Amino acid sequence: MRKIALVLAVLAMLAMLAGCQGKAAGAGEEVQAADKKLSVIASFYAMEDFAKKIGGDLAEVKNIVPPGVEPHDWEPAAKDIAALEEADVFVYNGAEMEHWVEDIEESLSTGKLVSVEASKGIEIIVHEEHEEDEHEDEEEHEEEEEGHDHGGVDPHVWLSPALVKTELRNIADGYIKADPDNASVYNQNYDKWAAECDALDQEFKDALAPLPNRDVIVAHEAFAYLCASYGLNQEPIEGLSADSEPTPSRVAEIIDFAKEHEIKVVFFEELASPKVSESIAEAIGASTDILSTLEGLSEEQEAAGDDYFSIMRQNLQSLVKALG
Amino acid sequence: MLSIFSYEFMRRAFLTGILLAVIVPCIGLVVVLKRLSMIGDALSHTALAGVALGLVLGINPVLGAMGACIVSAFGIEAIRKRLKFSETSIAIIMSAGIGLAGVLSDFARGANFNSFLFGSIVAISSFETLIATIVSVMVMLAFILLYKELFYISLDERGARLAGVPVKAVNFIFTMLTAVTVSIASRTVGALIVSSLMVVPVACAMQLGRSFKQTLVFSVAFSVFFMVAGLFVSYYAGLKPGGTIALLGVASFCLVSVAKSVFTKILRLRRQEANG
Repeated sequence: MRKIALVLAVLAMLAMLAGCQGKAAGAGEEVQAADKKLSVIASFYAMEDFAKKIGGDLAEVKNIVPPGVEPHDWEPAAKDIAALEEADVFVYNGAEMEHWVEDIEESLSTGKLVSVEASKGIEIIVHEEHEEDEHEDEEEHEEEEEGHDHGGVDPHVWLSPALVKTELRNIADGYIKADPDNASVYNQNYDKWAAECDALDQEFKDALAPLPNRDVIVAHEAFAYLCASYGLNQEPIEGLSADSEPTPSRVAEIIDFAKEHEIKVVFFEELASPKVSESIAEAIGASTDILSTLEGLSEEQEAAGDDYFSIMRQNLQSLVKALG
Repeated sequence: MLSIFSYEFMRRAFLTGILLAVIVPCIGLVVVLKRLSMIGDALSHTALAGVALGLVLGINPVLGAMGACIVSAFGIEAIRKRLKFSETSIAIIMSAGIGLAGVLSDFARGANFNSFLFGSIVAISSFETLIATIVSVMVMLAFILLYKELFYISLDERGARLAGVPVKAVNFIFTMLTAVTVSIASRTVGALIVSSLMVVPVACAMQLGRSFKQTLVFSVAFSVFFMVAGLFVSYYAGLKPGGTIALLGVASFCLVSVAKSVFTKILRLRRQEANG
């Protein structure tokens, strides 16, 4: 009997604790509401930068993935879900970039959060399976949703400046839904940065069109949209998700390809291991260089005040050097 | 596609792979007899803490990983003597290492931890080949020179001390070699290959070998076979090399076990027939 009483007492205490927490969360929301700025959560760096550009001074944007972490590998912790509960707008790329979004959306209790899937309306590339494997986990999700059982949905739309305009529009629409009073500000910001996208798009076209070489070796299959926009061809060492061990036959294929096409530079990304790229470059007497996927910023880039546009221009310079 | 040896990276994979396949089970045999089979796994994971610490303090993360491996190997040695069950010491050090890495990872930014830690056998640089060769020569020399001492200690540590073996000194050298081998090898060929080659070939050889020496020779033979066959299979079948080598080892272990039990049954039957 005494044991049962003890268990009941513990349960009662737990229930009280839970009650307290509920109240605390409620108080937090009121504070948020009193604050004029929109609280925005972005799913990784490119989304954070776009959300900041559209929100301007009216939004406080936080990136939910810590800097320096490869977003394909990241999963939310309890505190991240708590932060989402209190946010007004959640900006994510979609197209299976953030495999955790669906789970989170179901677990959120508040109805006020406006979720923006930035890639909505963009024609998504689905890759044929030409590398053995990579992300079985993600593929399982696909099967459930769309009945695809091979290939992979490519989420990396933000690497093509022309498509970024659509993402900015979607984000602006989300902001307007959450904060209709300031619709004109968001539209103005959109116009300003959409013009920047056009300018960047033109720079890429002008710089890349005259180059004789069209083939780039990249660490993971992230540049399909970029390549499609400017008539390049990517030869990825790995599949859609970064940082796993390639098979020996794939490495052999890449080396053959590189020799055949006289590749001068093997690209890698700042957040994945450069080891494989370096050993391939060594094998064919090429150099390595960074081609950023804008999934996160390094400390130096952050310190230098880089943003989407400055890093894309660095990418362009690297491409011109490699293909010229 | 050209043949397998026309690629420098495959030649390097075979060269470095075979060297490591010779020394890792040597260490593995002593480790298994000391009831510390999981040490390879534990050390390669506690190296995470070293990488994180290196990034926080601004030291080269690879050096940090090696330092962490050495510290935790000695930690395991120290705790092992205090406890009745020596494998507990591995669990304790592994908790400490992974816990520390988890906490430090919030302070160390701008890097993907795994890339500093886990190499791939198809991406070995010429520098890594050199380092792996140096470590291999060191371990082989130590084994040849200290063969008798290591043999005594791994079978009966107290007996060895009574027989006048400098147990402390030999244990020190062995622990150091284990830590250096694990940290270098997992950075070069990947942690999976290291931790599986440390134990699986030894487990196979123990079913067949009748003496310490025989078991040692069989372990090395099995290990080199797993490495070479694994590289061939993964190349021609397009499979991940680390996983292929580990699975090949486990499959061989199952085969050897079944073959052995069938063989002993047949022997027993024959003997009964001869007697009856």
